[in-house]
Amino acid sequence: MGLVFVRCEAVVQRRGLPGRRAVSADLFRRGGRFILQPRLNSSVLGGDSWLSIVVKRGKTSRWCSDADIAIRSTTSKGKRMAEQFYTVASDSETTGEDKSQLSFPDVAIGIDIGTSKCSVAIWNGHQVELLKNTRNQKGMRSYVMFKDDTLSAGVTGGAAQESAHEERDILSGSAIFNMKRLIGRMDTDEVVQASKTLPFLVQTLGIGVRPFIAALVNNMWRSTTPEEVLAIFLLELKALVEMHLKHPVRNAVLTIPVAFSRFQQTRIERAFAMAGLHVLRLMPEPTAVALLYAQQQQQLMHDNMGSGIEKIALIFNMGAGYSDAAVAATAGGVSQIRALSGCTVGGEDILQNIMRHVLPNFDSLYDGHTVDRIKSMGLLRIATQDAIHKLANQESVDINIDLGNGQKVSKVLDHSEFEQVNRAIFEKCEKIIIQCLVDAKLEPEDINDVILVGGCSKIPRIRSLVLGLCKKEVSYKNIDALEAAVSGAAMEGAIASGVTDPSGSLDLLTIQATPMNLGIRADGNNFAAIIPRNTTVPARRDMLFTTTHDNQTEALIAVYEGEGEQAEDNHLLGYFKIAGIPPAPKGSVEISVCMDIDASNVLRVFAGVVKPQGPAIPPFIEVRMPTLDDGHGWCGQALAKMYGKTIDLAVLPKKLQP
Amino acid sequence: VPKAAAVGTPSLRPNPKASRIRWAATAASTVLGLRAGATVREIKADYRRLARERHPDVAGAAPGAAVDFVRLHDAYATLFDPDSRARYDRGVVVAVAVAVAQRPCYPCWGGATGRPRRSD
Repeated sequence: MGLVFVRCEAVVQRRGLPGRRAVSADLFRRGGRFILQPRLNSSVLGGDSWLSIVVKRGKTSRWCSDADIAIRSTTSKGKRMAEQFYTVASDSETTGEDKSQLSFPDVAIGIDIGTSKCSVAIWNGHQVELLKNTRNQKGMRSYVMFKDDTLSAGVTGGAAQESAHEERDILSGSAIFNMKRLIGRMDTDEVVQASKTLPFLVQTLGIGVRPFIAALVNNMWRSTTPEEVLAIFLLELKALVEMHLKHPVRNAVLTIPVAFSRFQQTRIERAFAMAGLHVLRLMPEPTAVALLYAQQQQQLMHDNMGSGIEKIALIFNMGAGYSDAAVAATAGGVSQIRALSGCTVGGEDILQNIMRHVLPNFDSLYDGHTVDRIKSMGLLRIATQDAIHKLANQESVDINIDLGNGQKVSKVLDHSEFEQVNRAIFEKCEKIIIQCLVDAKLEPEDINDVILVGGCSKIPRIRSLVLGLCKKEVSYKNIDALEAAVSGAAMEGAIASGVTDPSGSLDLLTIQATPMNLGIRADGNNFAAIIPRNTTVPARRDMLFTTTHDNQTEALIAVYEGEGEQAEDNHLLGYFKIAGIPPAPKGSVEISVCMDIDASNVLRVFAGVVKPQGPAIPPFIEVRMPTLDDGHGWCGQALAKMYGKTIDLAVLPKKLQP
Repeated sequence: VPKAAAVGTPSLRPNPKASRIRWAATAASTVLGLRAGATVREIKADYRRLARERHPDVAGAAPGAAVDFVRLHDAYATLFDPDSRARYDRGVVVAVAVAVAQRPCYPCWGGATGRPRRSD
């Protein structure tokens, strides 16, 4: 064995059993690989699967995942049990040996990580099957509970009956949830700001760096990150799937909100890597639903019940954290995404609006995060959530709760009041649907089916709003609002893994589109979109730019993604400099910036001087985006402060272009 | 021959919009295999049929697969948009000759490494 890398603690679980325990182990490094060996006196048995590794340094413990390594367990056959070791492979490492070990069918699973609930589905050889946890739930609450030294996620929900988590435990400050809203966001982001009312600690400095997130463990705030929380959750989810399939899983197709930035995508991929899962594909949620719809339409045609002509569906998905809309044109098993739009409003915002409405001093309640206040907030949250659910089926609802400390809430809430309080949210939903129709160049009459999915699609106002905009009486019936996205993801997983089905039910293709504009900063602080949103991918577009100063020899290419007209309103993905531009009067140099999204949805930016032509001009630069790590908001400000306008670019006016 | 049209003189000149349409028109007749006057439904059906062969999800992530599909989609998008369709129908004969001569070539298309190349 190589050098002892670090002594650590591994949490192991007996396959098929809910209990878990910590064992001490040594982490070795050998030939670029990390190998975890349980210490001789620790009772690790064959059939145990590791769950996580905690590296102890003095009195503090850190998650090993912080070292950015993907962890994968292997059982060494034919060796003594005590010698069983766990291999920890580095994230980027790919070896041929891995592939030869895969004797099981490596079909990617479908995962839908919701802000509030998560589900997982597999292709079982004939159809999509949603897996249930030990509590018989298909939709598992998305959270991770931090308790003493043990961690447990919502997949098992505390597993054993006596330790089962109840909603009030989840809201006690010890659990982290809403990871999907927090992941990859800066502390200046309004979604992060709104998350400060959650029971766990979200602290912001407002300078464009990652927020401080912590869970309450034994009256102490223990820091963590959304990626880490998600990775722990995914480990439990992976164990559930492996228990069901009886073989390891490696690949997953994950559904994501349309509003997810490319930076957020990298964070979520990192969380998956920490959990030993490879993200085969990221699918915007409504496009996964569109795939399911395409399959159903094709099936209808095979059964001679469908006409086979193109059908256009508008899909509206509203969950707890995000809302998405998409227009898909479907015929012959090909689902073409014509337009996508999304925003960051969801059930969580509705919940917070109602909480503020019934308790006017709500904002002072969460201040300080004392145990008493967290408890009051939890009570209010549960009661409000319950009231919103009831309001979907009844005219009005009573909210009566004693928050303790002499605070009481007593309120009758009816539909009109509910709609009044959440008007801004409904307006945002309307906006993304209208934008989707305009971008797809379609009139409401062109829509054949309206598909409503997500937890919030049960809210009467949401239903009437979407149907009204599409001039429809009823929505499409054959799709389950909560299971559609994960089913589509599992189907895509099977298709992308090369599975074919004799009945032709996997003979499908999705032609995806970019959800957001991609471009660079130019003409001062403006945003010049090079690949506009809803461009079919793979895609490649270029645009000409010029210098803004005489004899300017350097130019900054700052790449952004988003819908804002100002560069700063968008997500900064990365930046680089073109140097060695031949000295020339301003406006006479031509710089070509080309953006390319390949078949794997990887974004590359190419830039270089194209005029004047000649041997002295610098070579093109190719940069894979995003290049930024954390603190991307801070970077944008620093760039502006450091360089001001000295290395700016301007869009070359069209009339000058040949 | 479609493949022959794809081998143009490489140049670093970015494509101006006008030649994009001419190029797409060529692509439409060669890539999509359509004649002027095809109905919207025929265009769509042909596009879907070819997408099922050429989309990188089907054709694999081999170098050039994405380029092939982007060409197909550009051709389709040109014909699908009523404005550019009208231009295409009016000018297709002239355009084909012009486009073959002036087909824009992106600095790094088709290269396995994706690195920009110059070969004047």
